[in-house]
Amino acid sequence: MGLDIQTWVNVAAYIGGGIAMGFGAVGAAIGEGYTAAQASSAISRNGNAAGDVIKSMLVGQAIAESASIFALVVAMILLFTNFPATTPVMIPAVFGAGLSMGIGAIGAGIGAGFPAGSACIGMVRQPAVSNKLTTNMLIGSAVCQTPSIFALVVSFILLFTDFSARPISPTWAAVLGAGFASGLSAIGSGIGGGIVAKQSCDGIARQPAATTTITNIMLLGQAITQTPAILGLLVSFILIFKSYAASSALAPAMALLASGLCIGFGAIGPGIGEGVASSGGVAWVARNEKHTGEIVRLMLVGMAVAESTAIYSLVIALVLVFVV
Amino acid sequence: MNELGKVWQLIVPFGDYKMTFNLDAILMTWIVIAILLLFGFLAARKQKLMPGPIQILGELIVSQIYQLTEDALDKKTAPKYAPLICALFMFLVCCNWIGMFPHMHEPTKDLNTPLSLGLLGFVIAHYSGIRAKGIKAYLMEYCEPIFFMAPLNIIGELAKVVSISFRLFGNIMGGSIIILVVSYLTFSVLLPPFLNAFFVIFIGAIQAFVFTMLTLVYISVQVK
Amino acid sequence: MAIEGADIIKAAAFLGAGLAMGLGAIGPGVGEGMAAAKACEAIGKNPKEAGLLTRTMLVGQAVSESTGIYSLVIALLLLFVV
Repeated sequence: MGLDIQTWVNVAAYIGGGIAMGFGAVGAAIGEGYTAAQASSAISRNGNAAGDVIKSMLVGQAIAESASIFALVVAMILLFTNFPATTPVMIPAVFGAGLSMGIGAIGAGIGAGFPAGSACIGMVRQPAVSNKLTTNMLIGSAVCQTPSIFALVVSFILLFTDFSARPISPTWAAVLGAGFASGLSAIGSGIGGGIVAKQSCDGIARQPAATTTITNIMLLGQAITQTPAILGLLVSFILIFKSYAASSALAPAMALLASGLCIGFGAIGPGIGEGVASSGGVAWVARNEKHTGEIVRLMLVGMAVAESTAIYSLVIALVLVFVV
Repeated sequence: MNELGKVWQLIVPFGDYKMTFNLDAILMTWIVIAILLLFGFLAARKQKLMPGPIQILGELIVSQIYQLTEDALDKKTAPKYAPLICALFMFLVCCNWIGMFPHMHEPTKDLNTPLSLGLLGFVIAHYSGIRAKGIKAYLMEYCEPIFFMAPLNIIGELAKVVSISFRLFGNIMGGSIIILVVSYLTFSVLLPPFLNAFFVIFIGAIQAFVFTMLTLVYISVQVK
Repeated sequence: MAIEGADIIKAAAFLGAGLAMGLGAIGPGVGEGMAAAKACEAIGKNPKEAGLLTRTMLVGQAVSESTGIYSLVIALLLLFVV
């Protein structure tokens, strides 16, 4: 068959674009649905606050949608750009770019829905603090988007880096692995960050006097919850920018692909777990502000331990890249 | 971009083996030690009733960490371990923050530093566990719930060293690589100061605290 | 290009190691997070027992982490022994 590299690059770009938008739509849809459900339930409790609730629902949904919009952008680029087929590595690179953005948008979409829903409920409970709630919700769901921004960065790097000087094998596996690493690792941290922000909105509605403390603890918790996604980003940077010796054997290539999969899957659980841990901390800081110090200390230790399996995955991923 | 993964090394042949010194890490560790010694000297030199700024900072750190140790252990054992914990925390914070300055590298970016600190904490925790409980009770703990779980319990203990040291290493190394790559991609415009503020100052302080807390808690689990 | 049997075996071992550690890390991560959340709740209710609660949480987390450590062991075996 007379299929040249250009054809295959186009094929990979179209499939990648489909995956980017297809998976990218999952998270935002779930998150926005959750927000709408909570908003309806809030309005049913107190119809007078409907205006405020609907306003904050729409703002929250708009933020939850941003991950999906990133995916749309990447999908558009994949569909309408004519990628130069200088090297066969472009085939996995454009595919990996779609994969990274598509999977990477899931977590942020779901996560950003949580605080918005919780803010709607809180607004009905405490109409007087609806401004504080909206601000906190905006900060919280904006931070949830961080992992999807990491995925966007990786997919842009994959799309616009010139791989023509690299050996075809094992670079093809490295770029594919990089897509998996940043995409999968963004899921956990996105959802985890959302869980933290949800509890903080809940806490502010319960104890408006403690708003500043709660927002600060939420930011601390969310920042640490991003660690698994940062580890995924780190591995995908290493995979993309390290130079490899050319080899036609399958094993070195598979090691690089496995490294991306390892940190990608390995970051999902710890990301969610750290979010859960930190949400416990935020919830009880709101209820017992006097003992913030003790709670935050325990929360940090608990999150650090919950992170350890992501660290083990990082160790295995680095061994796969540098040792074997 | 070529800096990625390059290490300044001194290789000394030693019989059949080669001894490798990572000069960057060694030099930077000495600088950190010098800074800390200077700080300690200035803070404790003229103790006054009306303290100067450096003395206030020193007293603040020391009193906070003694309080922390007392919470985790108890009033009797805390003074024994508090100096260790205090020194560990101040060393780690200095190590993590030194990367803020141009041409300086965090010693913690080199795996050897966190790994040796992790081993230090491990050995101290287990030594004080044996001292506190006696060797028999200490060994019996590994045979829970049944005796043939002992190998896995031992691996579990060793994995704590891996996780505590790789957590610090991964965060600091990850931060510096991400700063390097993003600065390269954006031609060092606009983004790097913010990245430095987040990764070096914020994450550096948090990770130093987490490392110290975990060492403290591992000691307290063994002692009680 | 001729692919040899030994090469395929090595490749499969690497892939297996990555998947073992990656997938094995999901469960313990979530579980330990739940333990930590409950511990925060307990400390919020009873701040006096902070030391005891921290130790209890760590022991519980160490047990739930054991499956993660099994994955680590299997991954290392696949990488260096098989």
